[in-house]
Amino acid sequence: MVRAKKIKKVVSKKPISRKRQPRIKKIKTAPKPQAKQAAGIRAQEIAVETAKFSQPEISRIVKTFSPELPSQYEQDRMVLLVRDPWWLYTYWELKQGTVEKLKSELKDEFYKAKRILRVYDVTDIIFNGLNAHRFFDIEIHEFANNWYIDAAGPGKSWCVDLGLRLSNGKFVTILRSNVVQTPLDGPSWITDEEWMIPDDMFARLYGMGFGQGKSSPIGKAWRERMVSSSGVASMASPVKKAQERGFWLKVDCELIVYGATLSDAKVTVQGKPIALRPDGTFTLRFSLPDGKQVIPVKAVSGDKADERTITPIVNRGTK
Amino acid sequence: MPKGYLCLVLHGHLPYVRHPEHEDFLEEDWLYEAITETYVPLILVYERLIADRIDFRVTMTLSPTLISMLSDTLLQERYLKHINRLIELAHKEIERTRWQPEFHNLALMYLSEFTKARDTFLRYNRNLVNAFKNFQDLGKLEIITCGATHGYFPLMDTYKESVRAQVKVAVGHYESVFGRKPRGIWLPECGYHPGHDAILKEAGLRYFFSDAHAILHGSPRPKYGVFAPVYCKGTQVACFARDLESSKQVWSSIEGYPGDYNYREFYRDIGFDLEYDYIKPYIHPDGVRINTGIKYYRITGSGNRKEPYVPHWAQDRASQQAGNFMFNRQKQVEYLYDFMGRKPIIVSPYDAELFGHWWYEGPLWLEFLIRKIVCDQDELSLTTAAQYLEENPRNQVITPSMSSWGWKGYSEMWLQGPNDWIYRHLHAASERMTELARSYNSVNGLTKRALNQALRELLLAQSSDWAFIMGTGTHTEYALRRTKDHLLRFNRLYEEIKSNSINQDWLSDIEYKDNIFPGIDYKTHQ
Repeated sequence: MVRAKKIKKVVSKKPISRKRQPRIKKIKTAPKPQAKQAAGIRAQEIAVETAKFSQPEISRIVKTFSPELPSQYEQDRMVLLVRDPWWLYTYWELKQGTVEKLKSELKDEFYKAKRILRVYDVTDIIFNGLNAHRFFDIEIHEFANNWYIDAAGPGKSWCVDLGLRLSNGKFVTILRSNVVQTPLDGPSWITDEEWMIPDDMFARLYGMGFGQGKSSPIGKAWRERMVSSSGVASMASPVKKAQERGFWLKVDCELIVYGATLSDAKVTVQGKPIALRPDGTFTLRFSLPDGKQVIPVKAVSGDKADERTITPIVNRGTK
Repeated sequence: MPKGYLCLVLHGHLPYVRHPEHEDFLEEDWLYEAITETYVPLILVYERLIADRIDFRVTMTLSPTLISMLSDTLLQERYLKHINRLIELAHKEIERTRWQPEFHNLALMYLSEFTKARDTFLRYNRNLVNAFKNFQDLGKLEIITCGATHGYFPLMDTYKESVRAQVKVAVGHYESVFGRKPRGIWLPECGYHPGHDAILKEAGLRYFFSDAHAILHGSPRPKYGVFAPVYCKGTQVACFARDLESSKQVWSSIEGYPGDYNYREFYRDIGFDLEYDYIKPYIHPDGVRINTGIKYYRITGSGNRKEPYVPHWAQDRASQQAGNFMFNRQKQVEYLYDFMGRKPIIVSPYDAELFGHWWYEGPLWLEFLIRKIVCDQDELSLTTAAQYLEENPRNQVITPSMSSWGWKGYSEMWLQGPNDWIYRHLHAASERMTELARSYNSVNGLTKRALNQALRELLLAQSSDWAFIMGTGTHTEYALRRTKDHLLRFNRLYEEIKSNSINQDWLSDIEYKDNIFPGIDYKTHQ
């Protein structure tokens, strides 16, 4: 099955901006789900999946006093994760000793230095600390231990250093992350000679793959959904939805018919036999619609010699 | 001669929720509801199709956690109690609604359904996995596996040992249950990261499912888009991507089928609607109102006013919509067949719980669809991924793109403000687990038990469901607690193993609580 192939690389026509402004962004808290936000399939999928985990309105008070997770694992470690084609996430921890060592080495400089995340574009290279295509810095505060990074570079490889920028401009690396690769946010420019497809035909297939019909422009709706979809539709648990209706009033009526006779008697209500409790009592409960209900209750003694009938008549009206 | 294939995939999964330490545990209802509303109805659909000699093909994931719960005697016992209570409630409802025929008939319908659920459950010796295994052995159902506990793989990529453990534990578990190896896997949340196909290959898996952009944004450019599988470069593991057009017809909250006004309204349940003292024995023992499963209204319209549900109107709509779905797929394959010069495959995956639990008429729609496709036409034929690959072994080789079928198509659902903190702990645990697996060889007795339990706790902590629930921002308490409990248990085990001071009583206690995967081998995590 495996055979050699010629891979043809089509050069991107889009210029890659080299002089990027450093970006300092921390993502805002995810938007709170709201029922009336735009709905996509994915939002609907979330709604279905949420419905699997139905929950009561009032959470039970389960306060087991379990210990907390450790805040540190006493390691020098920086991990970089990909959130999507544009955003990265990193978290890190430093051993106390590592910080102490830096302090004793840098003395006053340590306190004057700025804490920095240096984000390197290391696409298609083996990164040695110096050979990145480019990098940008994000100034962070001293006590941060995680950060969302707007790298805005789909289809590239990234590495991040946590470091100090000294007052003389020199950068000192404290920790280095793993290397990750962001996915493309559109079709690849690379085509395969054996499996060639003209651009216009691929565009049609691409649109169809995203459910946009055969004439849609490439990925337009896709991109709109990706970029503008700001929330999650009908995420609500069943209870939540009820709460979102605003002020309301519901009234309904039920009727309880109860009585007693000898325990061996046979009793019918509206002609239908009912079961007595061992002591001869009985209770029936009916949902009561508007209108007139005639409810003959007939008891026949165990030896069938005696018979009594009592017929409550109930009228319900609603204004 | 068919011009193309339709591959229906139902993804069945629930996180492992089993609390022997409590007599009654609310979150266990997730399973009980799914059994009554989704799994039994699907089993009944398959049984009717087989009885009528309809030669169908459906692919279904049964996640290892779901299989483990369905096979668990304690949960089976509790389900029986649950369904018996529901049957009792249905009897009361039949009486209560006697003066309102529109509700009375529905109460009768629920009694019949609950009774059927109990009968089916008992008929398969309380273990519904037997039913699905039977359908697989008959060649109608292709059961695929999933991550052992539905961990989200892309965010584990830095710790591939955990991805490997998720896959290998799942495959081993599948084999012990079904007596053969799984051919395919549903990557949890369709979370694919380039390179994980190598782990699938190691485990003997031949294909997986992904979202559309895994292939469409893969490299080199895929000649047939999502309408043919691709082989992953270097491993030859096949990737089948979902077709979003057919997904949208079913999923979309606007034009999707489940929103039809004649269908049953999910949000109106007598657990919330009826008088408190009456319904109290059937809701949560703490007195908190919950869904019972008895729902009397149809969607009616976009407003709050709801009309009673009329089953035969809904059935008519399900039949029409099945016809509409088939018609659209026929047009789709006709067009694609000419366009591609080969038979396209349309992959339509859905969350299994969409059918029945969320979309009450879903199982019926599926039955209509299958009957129509098999009996009424020739253009479209049902297939499975394995069958397609047998008939079409030559496919393009590409590297699929990282992707998921989650919100926005990547990892954000599981990596955002409310849940990003978990990865620091999960990853530390992964690293520690690898350390344990590598440094402890040929151990026995207590240490071996502790090592195996450590892997169970790690896997349970990794379930994507916890991060998902935290991400939705509502009712997160349970998910938080589960994440913490498993991680704390893992950390304590790690310390005790390392210091050779394993507390046997405590170990026995957590073995009893977190009893999943009895045959697990800690060495898998390498």
